[in-house]
Amino acid sequence: MTQHDDLDMLAAEYALGTLDADTRADVARRRQQEPELEALIQAWEARLAPLGDEAVAVAPGPELKERIEQRIRAIEAEAQEAQAKQNAAQKETRASDHPQVATLQRRLVRWQWSTGLATAAALVLAIILAGPLNKAPSDPSFVAVFQEDDRQPAFMLSVDLSNKQLNVLPVSAEPLANKSYQLWIKEDSLGPNPRSVGVLNDDLSLDAGALSDYDPALLKRATFGISIEPSGGSPTGQPTGPAIHGYLYPTGQAGAQRL
Amino acid sequence: MPNASRPSSTAASSPPAAGIAHLCGLLDRVAQKDRQAFADLYDATSAKLYGAVLRILRDRGSADDVLQEAYVKIWRQAAVFDAGRASPITWMVTIARHLAIDELRRQPKGYREPEEALAQAPDEGPSAQDELHQEQDAQRLYRCLDTLEDGRQDMVRLAYLEGWSRSDLATHFDQPVNTVKTWLHRALKQLKGCLAS
Repeated sequence: MTQHDDLDMLAAEYALGTLDADTRADVARRRQQEPELEALIQAWEARLAPLGDEAVAVAPGPELKERIEQRIRAIEAEAQEAQAKQNAAQKETRASDHPQVATLQRRLVRWQWSTGLATAAALVLAIILAGPLNKAPSDPSFVAVFQEDDRQPAFMLSVDLSNKQLNVLPVSAEPLANKSYQLWIKEDSLGPNPRSVGVLNDDLSLDAGALSDYDPALLKRATFGISIEPSGGSPTGQPTGPAIHGYLYPTGQAGAQRL
Repeated sequence: MPNASRPSSTAASSPPAAGIAHLCGLLDRVAQKDRQAFADLYDATSAKLYGAVLRILRDRGSADDVLQEAYVKIWRQAAVFDAGRASPITWMVTIARHLAIDELRRQPKGYREPEEALAQAPDEGPSAQDELHQEQDAQRLYRCLDTLEDGRQDMVRLAYLEGWSRSDLATHFDQPVNTVKTWLHRALKQLKGCLAS
């Protein structure tokens, strides 16, 4: 039996549900970090899914919906409070380095793209759509900052909409052994799935022209994300590892906020 | 003169609520923290998820808790949902199922009545699914399940639907756990091969 077979059987039994509690917890952890295992599990979930139709639908009690909605409201309130605290703290620590970021931090959003966000590998990405790159953008037209946990941004991405040149700037991110960072774009007109913009080079740079095929109007609407992938990029053409993403926000028009 | 023709009975009686595209649209909005979309999604899917969870846990109290946990997870992870990889309902049921199995593993072992469990068997079939390819997937899976040796199909169904562990199956089939593991692996590989052919 090969290693791959072992992993496939682990994925199969996880999906089937026959593993004991400890092994299940272990697989649940590992799948966050191992794209191969994650893909195998998803394949097995898909194979076995029709069995689920045997379970007869049962309406839950009417009070449960209200209970769940209350819980969701509480979660959102907590998230906003945490965000406000984080914004305040960041304003102090980072305002001198990135004034254009600091002024926009009240528009921060947390957005999850991947189940992997709880892992230590969770990324923090800041995106700035701005004027010319080599000058400090004094009046950036589009800015977004995305963060997970109370950490500094892992990357900042700035895009000059006039010539569609991009610049990826690692802030706290560092190259990972045998892993690559990959930048993604997602927008309705591109279909339901994220599209790869490119795999970051070993020095965490990316070809400045990687977005040149996209329309500026689309870039403004799009969601960007960076995920951690096996070396050389995602084997599936879709993000497989931990990622974070978010929208871009115009800085000038309060009404155009998408919060 | 009385009109002999009866009113048409073909009027849309089943709402398109469970349609894949509709659910994808709702999940998309939930990903952007749209609470109305979340409420609609709950209305369209909660009976299906609750049925799966209740079948595993057989207790409304813990099924309620698990269903809440599942919808909180769906709220948080809606942006992760990838329509290219799974149908929305499969994705949601999978989340609920795994939470239910985790809860079941935490509970002290109770007496599980296998006959009753199996008695609730198929007959419903994939009728709830309105998408043709899902029905085809189901037919293919059942055809492949039928190729398994006697008892192995029951093992797979007891595990998937009732949340039985290897050791639950070992007790029921009166076999060492390692034998059950070997049987399961053989059955799963056979299924995989059959589905790929």
